[in-house]
Amino acid sequence: MLFRPNPSLGVPIYLQLMEQVKHAIETGALRPGEQLPGIRPLAEELVMNPNTVAKAYRELEHEGVIELRHGAGAFVSAQPRTKKLAEAVRDAQPVVAATVKRLRARGLTDEEIRRLFEAELAGMRRGGRRG
Amino acid sequence: MAESLIIETTDLHKSYDGVEALRGLTLGVPTGSIYGFLGRNGAGKTTTIKVLLGMARPSSGQARVFGLDVDNPEIRRRTGFVSEEKDLYDFMTVDEMIRFTAPFFPRWRADLEQRYLRKFELPSNRKIKALSRGTRTKLALLLALCRGAELLILDEPTSGLDPAMAEEVLQALVAHVAGEETTVFFSSHQIAEVDQIADHVAIIDRGCAVVTGALDDLRERYQRIQLVFDGDAPQGGFRAPGVVRLRRKGRMLTIMSSGGTEEIVEEASAMHPLSVEVVPVTLKEIFLETVTGEE
Amino acid sequence: MLWYKSWLETRWRFLIGLVLLIFSALSTVFTYPQVLKLLPMVPQHINGEIGRRIREAAELARDFRGYVWSDWFRQNLPEKWTLFAVLIGTGGLLAHSSGGGTLFTLSLPVSRKRLLGVRTATGFIELFVLAFVPSLLIPLFSPAIGQHYGVGSAVIQSACLFIAGSVFFSLAALLSTMFNDIWRPMLIALGVAIVVSLVEQAPQVSFGIFHVMHGESYFRHGALPWVGLLASAALSVVLQYGAMVNIARRDF
Repeated sequence: MLFRPNPSLGVPIYLQLMEQVKHAIETGALRPGEQLPGIRPLAEELVMNPNTVAKAYRELEHEGVIELRHGAGAFVSAQPRTKKLAEAVRDAQPVVAATVKRLRARGLTDEEIRRLFEAELAGMRRGGRRG
Repeated sequence: MAESLIIETTDLHKSYDGVEALRGLTLGVPTGSIYGFLGRNGAGKTTTIKVLLGMARPSSGQARVFGLDVDNPEIRRRTGFVSEEKDLYDFMTVDEMIRFTAPFFPRWRADLEQRYLRKFELPSNRKIKALSRGTRTKLALLLALCRGAELLILDEPTSGLDPAMAEEVLQALVAHVAGEETTVFFSSHQIAEVDQIADHVAIIDRGCAVVTGALDDLRERYQRIQLVFDGDAPQGGFRAPGVVRLRRKGRMLTIMSSGGTEEIVEEASAMHPLSVEVVPVTLKEIFLETVTGEE
Repeated sequence: MLWYKSWLETRWRFLIGLVLLIFSALSTVFTYPQVLKLLPMVPQHINGEIGRRIREAAELARDFRGYVWSDWFRQNLPEKWTLFAVLIGTGGLLAHSSGGGTLFTLSLPVSRKRLLGVRTATGFIELFVLAFVPSLLIPLFSPAIGQHYGVGSAVIQSACLFIAGSVFFSLAALLSTMFNDIWRPMLIALGVAIVVSLVEQAPQVSFGIFHVMHGESYFRHGALPWVGLLASAALSVVLQYGAMVNIARRDF
């Protein structure tokens, strides 16, 4: 269910793992209250750094997506925040689809579109500065 | 962020017969990390490891492991080592080699010994000189992992191994680190494997550390800025700090930055480019740009 | 476990040496009857150094004790034993610079001093056995040919050999810490042994390492060569110390 992160994307691995977990929750592969794989078995299975897995889990807990229960493991939050997040993502999807469709109609290739988004996001990551 | 550093070098110099192998190497390995030490062949990776383990004496500068000076033999009681050549005693059998090594370490883990013997499928009675490189590597790894060591120092652990076996080795390392409180310091010139399992990295070039830091941090900080101009790309440098490399080709100017992208983009805007793109950068690109030649 | 490793590294040299020396010692004993028979036929009129030696050897051989000294303690034993002293003294950390586990050994929590010490001690024990055991076969088997040779004599002669000859072992050990291969230490040490031996054979020279090894003064006058033994032992210690200093400060 969880795939190996791709280091050559230039995106931190822990973020990729977080995205995968969130995606799994959105699609229902992981349900609220369900247990996630342990840090050690997951690191072993994906052959990745256990510290990175731990970091991803910590960030997910910080965002309220999962709960870390001491001694028992990591569990998907039953909180409505998760659902809201999942819903927000679901709602955003058609917005993005429409934008992409419009840009394609203007003759932009997918690669160009991707770069525009990334440049924009890079700008936004630093305190919302608009380019 | 005060992290305890299990390995720390400060301005380390080492010369062999008048040739400087290390020229002021400074790095710090946080306890509990998996630290990748990347560099081209001959950059000084093996020399650094030899200094850390007391096999070679530093010419100047400081190096400490566990807070102890590197000529303290106590370091070797708490460290597991695998050499680049994986060289062991050819005339001994696998079993004899294990029986030889175990008594030196009071914290030897017989449980791990059994587990790895099975997992690596090591033939107990075969002489080491008859083993394939892959099997020898696994044996060397077993000897390092079973010591109950707090630190593992590995010199190119997967060199000469086919991808499947390399993956097995990485997996064993990762599993070991997850289960035991161990720090791993490994050198490599395989960027992919450092990418995969390391959380900190140092890139060494011609005896100096040119890049050090947490891998996630580096992935966020390093970026490529691509500028396209109407005419030829303008000459001249950038005042903003963080420019690692500038490349001009016709109408394109590409800048690799290690941070402070905003300032660079501002300076670039003053040159009136047709387009400005900021693109994330992979470890491989960081490596290639920081170790190859000058411009 | 270091002892076991040193044993594994030197055992063939030791065992071959032991077999060779035992065979040689027994041969010394069991060819005596033949030698006795041939004595009257020894030519008395050959001139020069060779003639002198032949006459001297014949003179000594009239008496079993003299024969044993001339054939075994002055010739066969020192020649062969010195060869093995050099062979066994060669080797150690540097000999296996690439392949042989040098870096592995150095990564163990053992001081270099101890590594060298165990290797040296193993060598000494093996050479001790090589010096004494074959020699003790002579008093043991002499009755088989109707002769007698004192155990005390055998022990003392062997001790002279061992103590003085240890110089060559230590020389080989020191040279082994100076070169990366095994050939140069071996050949240089053997070369030195051969040269010294030749020099000492000159009639003007009446002292030297080999003279002490032969225990000549003990054989002829019952007097132990104390000065020679002490000097050799001291030299051996100095050479070993040099080896240790080399190993301690070496960069690998």
